[in-house]
Amino acid sequence: MGAQQREYKKRIRSAQGMKKIFKAQEMIAATRIAKAHARVLATTPYADAITQAIGAVGAHSTDFAHPFLEQDRSETGRAAVLLITSDRGMAGSYSPNAIREAEELSNRLRDEGKTVDLYVVGRKGETYYRFRNRPPKQAWTPYKEEELGALGHEIAQTLTEALLSEDPAVHVDELYLVGTRFLSRFQQVARVSRLVPMAVVDGGHGDQAQTFPLYEFAPDAASVMDELIPRYVESRIVNLLMQSIASEHASRQRAMKTATDNAQTQIDKFTRLANSARQAEITQEITEIVGGADALAGSGRAER
Amino acid sequence: MSSLEVTFVTSDRTVWTGTAAQVVVPAVDGSFGILPRMQPTLAILDRGNVRIIAEDGSVTEREVQGGFVSMDSDVVTIAVDQADRARSAS
Repeated sequence: MGAQQREYKKRIRSAQGMKKIFKAQEMIAATRIAKAHARVLATTPYADAITQAIGAVGAHSTDFAHPFLEQDRSETGRAAVLLITSDRGMAGSYSPNAIREAEELSNRLRDEGKTVDLYVVGRKGETYYRFRNRPPKQAWTPYKEEELGALGHEIAQTLTEALLSEDPAVHVDELYLVGTRFLSRFQQVARVSRLVPMAVVDGGHGDQAQTFPLYEFAPDAASVMDELIPRYVESRIVNLLMQSIASEHASRQRAMKTATDNAQTQIDKFTRLANSARQAEITQEITEIVGGADALAGSGRAER
Repeated sequence: MSSLEVTFVTSDRTVWTGTAAQVVVPAVDGSFGILPRMQPTLAILDRGNVRIIAEDGSVTEREVQGGFVSMDSDVVTIAVDQADRARSAS
């Protein structure tokens, strides 16, 4: 076998190996999307309940004040940005998109004269900032997919402490979340949302404004609000974490599908090249044999 | 006689959902029961047991820690941080 053929065969084998890996990754991601999406859906009733309750308190009593609701929070001029990325690569543009959103947000905040405190979930985001010598204030990495609830709780606690702190070295004025929304298996968008300061009543659904029941509060509206708001923050963070994970899997599935297809294209291409190389070799051998026989015949020697 | 539409959720899952005749929750200022046609209430929960008595009389009991309950026109939503099976049915 000629050297050229051997080279092509080697490439085919390597592409075949990679194709298997990509295919496996794709299938793993595909099964995990469903699971992750189910988890997102499981948090929805709680999030709905809490949003509804906060809206009700906000709509019916005006005699409460919560630090998260103050629209003018400018004590230290610091804003916290929570960025959610993945731990692992091979997920296409999932992490880079989220990082780009966070960068744009940070630039905008800096233009407004604020200082940005970064909180990062996931190794990709952490290494991005560490490499650029702007290490995040705190990073949660690596994280486990099964423990997102606990992780969300921890993050919410850290951020709430920073938001409520009296210490000017710790206190932050605003909190932004940057994560990836899972719209469907085929569509995910990296988006920024501001959590603190909070808008008192959520916009409602279209023109049909929601009406809230006239609640009796136990013990009273202010303490209900005090209890609800930290939970609301946590539920928002947990929900975003779960959506991001689902998006990560969806993104990885798509990336791996493309990679599998590309590997197949490579295999096809190199198979054709190897075939033509083999054919060329055969042709050459025949030519040589024929040429040799002709040369012998032409030398005038009789056959033995 | 009307009944209660109950949704009992924790932050990551739904614990119990269905119609019930009575619900008992541990509010911060004392445990209280919820019956159909009660006035709309929003209460903060403390550590304690949530007891849901379904229409057929079967009782579901969970030990919870922190959360809130909202009651409005016979729709009860219980949202808690943690819900474990109650220790030793008493």
